[in-house]
Amino acid sequence: MAKKTYDLLFKLLLIGDSGVGKTCVLFRFSDDAFNTTFISTIGIDFKIKTVELQGKKIKLQIWDTAGQERFHTITTSYYRGAMGIMLVYDITNGKSFENISKWLRNIDEHANEDVERMLLGNKCDMDDKRVVPKGKGEQIAREHGIRFFETSAKANINIEKAFLTLAEDILRKPLKLHIVSHPKYLGPKDFEGRCCSETSL
Amino acid sequence: MEEPPLREEEEEGDEAGPEGALGKSPFQLTAEDVYDISYVMGRELMALGSDPRVTQLQFKIVRVLEMLETLVNEGNLTVEELRMERDNLRTEVEGLRREGSAAGGEVNLGPDKMVVDLTDPNRPRFTLQELRDVLQERNKLKSQLLVAQEELQCYKSGLIPPREGPGGRREKDTLVARANNARSNKEEKTIIRKLRDRGGFVHLGDKSKPPDFRTTDAGCGRSSSRR
Repeated sequence: MAKKTYDLLFKLLLIGDSGVGKTCVLFRFSDDAFNTTFISTIGIDFKIKTVELQGKKIKLQIWDTAGQERFHTITTSYYRGAMGIMLVYDITNGKSFENISKWLRNIDEHANEDVERMLLGNKCDMDDKRVVPKGKGEQIAREHGIRFFETSAKANINIEKAFLTLAEDILRKPLKLHIVSHPKYLGPKDFEGRCCSETSL
Repeated sequence: MEEPPLREEEEEGDEAGPEGALGKSPFQLTAEDVYDISYVMGRELMALGSDPRVTQLQFKIVRVLEMLETLVNEGNLTVEELRMERDNLRTEVEGLRREGSAAGGEVNLGPDKMVVDLTDPNRPRFTLQELRDVLQERNKLKSQLLVAQEELQCYKSGLIPPREGPGGRREKDTLVARANNARSNKEEKTIIRKLRDRGGFVHLGDKSKPPDFRTTDAGCGRSSSRR
């Protein structure tokens, strides 16, 4: 184990329709494993993974939200503290792609203004069942000025790349955000409180 | 409701003897009554003697009585069938009415309401706020566990000198047990101090609070100061 546990802590959030694979994407990244059984996330969960970028140890605290509508009042309260948000859809599920605009609107409403966003088209290993062409994902990402990857948690395609890219993008952000990257608390309220008390710095 | 009086009249007829059948309402006649009537009429015809015209009339009367017997039997059968059908329909209507009143209650609740079956073990019973609280507590405990695991790893790998161990450990234990607020205050100071000591990229001036002397300089100690 390294001497320093971490230099910075980035808080990331995964959102998107139910069943697109948010939990699997996270599980692949944090534990390098994949499970085919679908267990709907209850409300909100998180995992921790430390990565090294530009000589800095960065602890990623990644929040995994339930995609189901009935949890939305709980999950949206976690948007505020996020420094990066991954919006996931399923390339074999047209509805999950159509809902991207709805999720982007959610981000606009509930997240920090300068939050780093990223779009992921998951399950890209299932090309035979694909209904969303890659070009459509690229197009909508371009329209909103955000990065885009097609991923597969199952086949381990672009998962680590996506998380590292998002972390790098946050690292490049202005200093102010980096202060906030030393949170001690994982919940939205405390995070918010900290955030506000340190904005003057 | 309609049967008891009917039976009463039948009984009356029986008591009144064969002649009683003639006094009955035609709608209440039974085959038995018809036989009574034929007995009465046969007796009277016999009293008239053996005039051939009487004999001829007797054949016709027998024929008429046979017809009456058929009609009465048929009629009574039909009445019985209708009665059974009525009873069935009555049961059916009652069932529908009961269902209808249940459905009616549901409709009265309005479009955004639902009915909860209190006997269903999987019925919804916790509020969103309760779920939110439980999730927050779960995540808090989970993060504390992660911190404790990391710390343990540090001790195991000898990154924290043993002499520093017991005291430092005890302090950390109390820290974990302490209330959340006090805890985060201390941690905040620790992080601020850490950044300041490192001459980090930001100057964190925490003027309102006295400097924190609890800061552990060892890398792993630092890990324990955040959750």
